[in-house]
Amino acid sequence: MHWETVIGLEIHVQLACDSKIFSSASTAYGKEQNTQASLIDLGYPGVLPVLNKEAVMMAIKFGLAVDAEIAETSIFARKNYFYPDLPKGYQISQYELPIVSNGQLFITLDNGTEKRIGITRAHLEEDAGKSIHDKFSDASAIDLNRAGTPLLEIVSEPELSSAKEAILYMQKIHQLVRYLKISDGNMQEGSFRCDANVSLKPKDNNELGTRAEIKNINSFRFIESAINFEVDRQKEILEQGDSVAQETRLYDSDLKETRSMRTKEEANDYRYFPDPDLLPVKISEGIIEKIASSLPELFDQKVDRYVSTLSIKGVDAIEIAKNIELAEYFEDALNTYNGNPQLLANWMLTEVMAILNKDKIGIANLSITAQSISQLTQRIDDGTISSTIAKNIFNQLVESNMSVDELIKDQGLEQISDTNEIEQIILTVLNENQEQKDQYLAGKEQVLGFLIGKVMQKTQGKANPKLVNDLMVKVLSNN
Amino acid sequence: MERFTVKAIRNMLAEKQISAAEVFDLYSSRIADHDRSFNAFITTDIEPDVAYIADHNRQSSSSGSELKGIPYAAKDIFCTQGIRTTCGSRMLENFIPPYDATVVRKLKQQGAVLLGKTNMDEFAMGSSNETSYFGPVNNPWDIERTPGGSSGGSAAAVAAGLAPIALGTDTGGSIRQPAAFTGITGLKPTYGRCSRYGMVAFASSLDQAGILALSAEDTAIFLEFMAGFDPLDSTSVEESVPQYSQYLEENIKGKVIGLPKEFFDGSLASPYEALVAASIDSYKKLGVVFKEISLPNIGYSVPTYYVVAPAECSSNLARYDGVRFGYRSENIEDLDQFYRTNRQIGFGQEVKRRIITGTYVLSAGYYDAYYLKAQKVRQLINQDFERAFESVDIILGPTTQTAAFKLGEKVDDPVSMYMNDIYTISSNLAGLPAISHPIGFFEGLPYGLQLIAPHFKELDLLNLTHQYQKETDWHQIMPKISMSKESNN
Amino acid sequence: MAITKSDIEHLCGLSKLNLDDEEIPIYLQQMTDILKMIEQLQSANTDEIIPMAHPLDMHQRLREDIVIDTNDRDVYQKNSLNSEEGFYKVPKVIE
Repeated sequence: MHWETVIGLEIHVQLACDSKIFSSASTAYGKEQNTQASLIDLGYPGVLPVLNKEAVMMAIKFGLAVDAEIAETSIFARKNYFYPDLPKGYQISQYELPIVSNGQLFITLDNGTEKRIGITRAHLEEDAGKSIHDKFSDASAIDLNRAGTPLLEIVSEPELSSAKEAILYMQKIHQLVRYLKISDGNMQEGSFRCDANVSLKPKDNNELGTRAEIKNINSFRFIESAINFEVDRQKEILEQGDSVAQETRLYDSDLKETRSMRTKEEANDYRYFPDPDLLPVKISEGIIEKIASSLPELFDQKVDRYVSTLSIKGVDAIEIAKNIELAEYFEDALNTYNGNPQLLANWMLTEVMAILNKDKIGIANLSITAQSISQLTQRIDDGTISSTIAKNIFNQLVESNMSVDELIKDQGLEQISDTNEIEQIILTVLNENQEQKDQYLAGKEQVLGFLIGKVMQKTQGKANPKLVNDLMVKVLSNN
Repeated sequence: MERFTVKAIRNMLAEKQISAAEVFDLYSSRIADHDRSFNAFITTDIEPDVAYIADHNRQSSSSGSELKGIPYAAKDIFCTQGIRTTCGSRMLENFIPPYDATVVRKLKQQGAVLLGKTNMDEFAMGSSNETSYFGPVNNPWDIERTPGGSSGGSAAAVAAGLAPIALGTDTGGSIRQPAAFTGITGLKPTYGRCSRYGMVAFASSLDQAGILALSAEDTAIFLEFMAGFDPLDSTSVEESVPQYSQYLEENIKGKVIGLPKEFFDGSLASPYEALVAASIDSYKKLGVVFKEISLPNIGYSVPTYYVVAPAECSSNLARYDGVRFGYRSENIEDLDQFYRTNRQIGFGQEVKRRIITGTYVLSAGYYDAYYLKAQKVRQLINQDFERAFESVDIILGPTTQTAAFKLGEKVDDPVSMYMNDIYTISSNLAGLPAISHPIGFFEGLPYGLQLIAPHFKELDLLNLTHQYQKETDWHQIMPKISMSKESNN
Repeated sequence: MAITKSDIEHLCGLSKLNLDDEEIPIYLQQMTDILKMIEQLQSANTDEIIPMAHPLDMHQRLREDIVIDTNDRDVYQKNSLNSEEGFYKVPKVIE
């Protein structure tokens, strides 16, 4: 029996609003427990919700970026259930009339083809608080700082056919929300969370199988192993002729397996009904147009622009554009740069990326400014310094307060490009290295590198390598 | 003992015949001396610092302190900062809100002084003030009878002269019916007129803060300051607040009042029918014109309400779980039992009944047939009113079927209790403002008349009522308050 | 649409209420009466009628995304009988 995997992803994105979705408390991460829970977040008697405008705008931005329909009228509904991290005993979410519906996203498969993944809906809702079960021996500890943080829940059609596709889709959404600046997408801090609905069906059978929902996936690594484990688990069950239970399962990253949660929550009837404390949200054509016209350049557009306008190689354009912050840094540097953009791109992808990886930091924490990078590559491009010297300067920039030009001047790092001067040094080197000179003239061409190296040594690396190369060959051939 | 209107007190203060502190003490003493007969108050030991400040600021009569020194009582459903707020429930027996309800804050800003928190049906669910954890309230006209509910304490306090005016809430008639049972004036404003922020929610799309007072005039004085847009309440309306007291003397000649045939179908017992007829005559003498109208779907009001209100309340009361506030049992290790026990002990029977009903009508398989259906019927009722108001200015009808019934008479028969709201509920469903004012007595018990107006036409209700009250004195008749035996409430 | 004892128990489960054994038959009878009264709704003709969730035909106002800092945790936790180190405590949840 040939089984096909069917996966749908539900991604919860914490929106980068300063205040909560229904109250004016701060959404800042990592604060001391319960210091950012207002009376409204705590569900006190008599309090009422008022909707955060920015959350609505961000949802619309997302909808537009995935070609979705933006609802002219959308409704908030109460999802009723009891849990200690849910202070009101209901979550304010959206049910029948979500703000965004019928969108799409394209993922590029390994073989280069594009696959369309439908986005059923995206809706606004409030986040719950956090429960910590191992803080006290006799009780669970509840921190409601997170309660009320705005979430956008993005639901895909069950159109993903493998863990690989799921990852591609998840990465695309992750990149998109960061591009749109509606979320920082920080999975460690919980701003980007994914649940996967996984089921199997026999090939050529249209009816979908029973699905299990896997929760608690908070990294791209985990989603692959979680889905793969689940597919194997379900396959085994189905091949034995049994049926898969519709249930919620948790992913255990240590054991690399999924296990069933207490099924109590499944028995829940959420009794959705429109929240009577909130009114229908009306979104006019005007608002939508205004937001559409202010959408930032998205990934695909950026890559195209880098390639066509800046003549940057496709693979490099993709590498830079993948990370919006890197791309913005790059574009910032480009603003003050007059040289070959590819050179700057190379520099970003080699030296800059190397430091970020070595120090495990994001570009926001890099102590070298975009201006400095721009100046540095400018000086390579205009021949003031060699790339070897540039690397030296780059390493200094991490600590130094001086500008590139100041460092060059201060340490006398200008490239030596005077042909006479270089020729003199070449003659000296050839004099000092008769043996190698003779070897070269006898036909051993690889000795050239040695001789050039000697010249570079004599000039502390400041000689223009290309000139040295050309002049060395010329001098030797004149011999 | 004499009952003083807010207007009278204001004049006495302005003319320095009495100080704010003296007014406060007068009412505090009355409460101390007489409330044991009525059990109208749950909390009374409140520091009257505002009254003393008001005395000092008498000189500066800048606007923004129109109610300086005027004492009032507030139904214990309004959150009052630092002052216990129980909602008549064991669940909140020791709850001290860290904030004021918006309407309380507004009155405070005007210098009004809180006398005490009044008794009420638990979480505003009831029509007789018999579901309170703090014991029933006795009607000052006959202490064996109910004052009505759920704002029974506020009504009894005002009727008995223990407070000149009181705040109440009205979800299905909870201000108007007690006003009718106690012979005072009770106003439910338009939905969204007064802020609901800080007013503990029962049924969010029906609840509205309102006033129980001795006259339309007093009601107008307080409404001016209570009403108004609040950014903290999404259902609050940005409609400007008229100076209601300026409209009381408007000419009512030629105003058209509609008499719904469904309200006058002969089901009212003849003594009450006679009282209503007499009040209609009084209005006719004032130049009002009457017209028969029809509200064909009004008969569905009670079932509609008893789907919508319990549904909303079942969700609104889910927050009472003992975790962050409220009744909490000790030594329970299982979370599920923790919740269940807290709520079993914290809530009374009527609340539990409504939560179960509400859960039922929202549950899978029943939502369409009940909740959705009820919201559609609600639309029908709303449309009936819209149609009616095309040809009339005001709608008139009884407030209640009878005068106050005896305590204990209906406690075991919820449906019979629910039918009490038959005349009042429809205006909550449509969000319309409505007032009840006294129109006479039957067998020594007061009886009330109800006027309903289009949205935001409180001024018409107050205007008409005031003109009626100029020509009659039903609203001035006070029950005999004696030093009665200690009631064990 | 007759309501049964197990319906009541299910509803109590959803709404986290306990009823004593003696109470259940009373509630059952009262719920039966209430539901019978509510049934009257079915005779209303609501074809083509849009459900009304609010008495006034308004739409939701939006609030500016501005933080108003109110860390009054210690004041609030005076109301909670069981909080420790700033956390609220509940019987242990087993996941």
